[in-house]
Amino acid sequence: MSTYVPLFLLFIVAAVLAGALFTISTVLGPKNPTPEKMIPYECGSETTGGRFVKPSVKFYLTAILFVVFDIEAVLIYPWTVEFKNLGWIGLATMGSFILMLVVALLYVWKKGALEWEK
Amino acid sequence: MNSGLFLGLSPLLVVSLGGLLLMVAEAFSKRRVDETSDDRDAGPSSELSLGTAVTLLAGAVFAAAIWFVGPEKLEGASSVAPWVIVDRFTLFFSFVLCLGGALAALLAGGYLPEHRLDRGEFYPLIIFSTVGAMILASAGDLLSLFLGLETMSLGVYAMVGFRRASLRSTEAAVKYFLLGSFAAALLLYGGALLYGATGHTDLAGIREAIANMQPGKGSNFALVITAAVLIIVGLAFKVSAVPFHMWTPDAYEGAPTPTTTYMAVAVKCAAFATMLRVLIGAFGEGGLESWAAGWPPVVALLAVLTMTVANLVAGQQESVKRMLAYSSIAHAGYVLVGVVATMRAGGDAQGSVMFYLLTYTVSTVGAFGALILMGSRGAEAVSYEDLAGVGKRHPAAGFAFSLFLLSLAGVPPTAGFFGKLYIVKASIGAGLYPLAIILLLNSVISAYYYLRVMVYMYMREPAPGAPIAKPMRSGYVATALVVAGVLVLVLGLWPTTSLQIAVEAALATR
Repeated sequence: MSTYVPLFLLFIVAAVLAGALFTISTVLGPKNPTPEKMIPYECGSETTGGRFVKPSVKFYLTAILFVVFDIEAVLIYPWTVEFKNLGWIGLATMGSFILMLVVALLYVWKKGALEWEK
Repeated sequence: MNSGLFLGLSPLLVVSLGGLLLMVAEAFSKRRVDETSDDRDAGPSSELSLGTAVTLLAGAVFAAAIWFVGPEKLEGASSVAPWVIVDRFTLFFSFVLCLGGALAALLAGGYLPEHRLDRGEFYPLIIFSTVGAMILASAGDLLSLFLGLETMSLGVYAMVGFRRASLRSTEAAVKYFLLGSFAAALLLYGGALLYGATGHTDLAGIREAIANMQPGKGSNFALVITAAVLIIVGLAFKVSAVPFHMWTPDAYEGAPTPTTTYMAVAVKCAAFATMLRVLIGAFGEGGLESWAAGWPPVVALLAVLTMTVANLVAGQQESVKRMLAYSSIAHAGYVLVGVVATMRAGGDAQGSVMFYLLTYTVSTVGAFGALILMGSRGAEAVSYEDLAGVGKRHPAAGFAFSLFLLSLAGVPPTAGFFGKLYIVKASIGAGLYPLAIILLLNSVISAYYYLRVMVYMYMREPAPGAPIAKPMRSGYVATALVVAGVLVLVLGLWPTTSLQIAVEAALATR
């Protein structure tokens, strides 16, 4: 249990620090509210449109494709470090993995998931 | 790295590779139909359905081939254990899952073009989902078990919501997704606690650690119990046991019928496979397998609730599809009785459970397939009224539906009868008389709603002015029905061989 004491200390320090900063700035900071300052997005220009905007599903597609190839990179890094020890089996494994991703890339390409304007 | 390993994994590899190829073929194919097209043969289904069925059947054939070679003779196949265990249990379930998936793919080949859903994505999804189901059935480690479960479920979530324009289909997909991920989280939590308590993620190691534990004296036994409860609940969600069945009727009804078929057979069989592996492989010792302080009373309670509630509610449904959904819940209850019996009756009881899953697979595929056959474009058969008089106007379709319903009800010349008989025999052999009696009573109740369909088909005429059901024409659906029908009769007339195979497969896990 004693090994977790520093961790608890870290939590306590983080909580105290965050609380103290907010409290101090609330208490000491000058308050001069104007209507413009009170609107949710205050940057000088008028807000337009509704609060809920439907993002295009294309963002989702792009994000998921990014995740797929991001994971590929994550898996390739440790492989390169152990490249010599893993030998030919490692090369074959990584080759088949990348081949599968190539198939996936072919698929999304033919399906038109990479085209934004469509 | 040798040929034994590749041969041992060949059912998985063949199906995965086939799935990849079909996926690319579908993307490059020029076959596209828009939603308004009237040509049923122009879409991707006309090629992909057969390709998918052949791929999955190839997986089944490879599984059967390894069975005859003998999985224990394959050198090197054990090098992937315990993540993937190649034994007769795995091969049996690989065969059943591939068979169920292939028949569901054939049903989709008729259903999707008929109801203007003809998009090719369905077929790779069904293949990759089956790959997940096969991994699930062969997993001897909590990590690969979870991987298989998620691979299987992800494909099915998409397949449930395949009718994108329909609110009900989307609702079904969201419900299934939310509850499915919740169940997966429970399972994962249970697995984490189990790892914390025993220091193992492989089922054999967990079993050993539990056997060496002394209950009480400051050990982790309480953690093990908590983990066992969480894992049983997670699996009960997947096999849709009452009271964790709430998602089932909506998801089954909202999904396109081939998806429903697939969920009712492959997903359920894979979940039962892993349930057997976990309950017997991990919780089979250290008092956890006893009636006094283990999982059997919990599973028995689930079984009684599942059978009784599902059968009582199924009788009140007005939609045949929903009735079949409740029927599949009820059948999960019968299987759970067999699962309880495994604690005392051992391999024979487990064999009867696995034989039951085989008979259930062919009967359910047939029943849903016959329901698909009864509908045509713009008029999907869902209610009892839709089926009025079909038996007289279309004798072949009516006969097929009756055969599968009789099998589900458990009437003698069909497979379903022997499935139930062996479960009852196993539960009596284990001394579980109350469970056996409740099962038989429920079987009687279930006859009411199965026979009701036949009453409508043969003894009613459509109400004046009501639309008259016209069965669709599809070689794929007809083929699936013929295959399922032959299997129902073969398993019903010569059950002993398949039972022996199932018992032999069951003994591999003990």
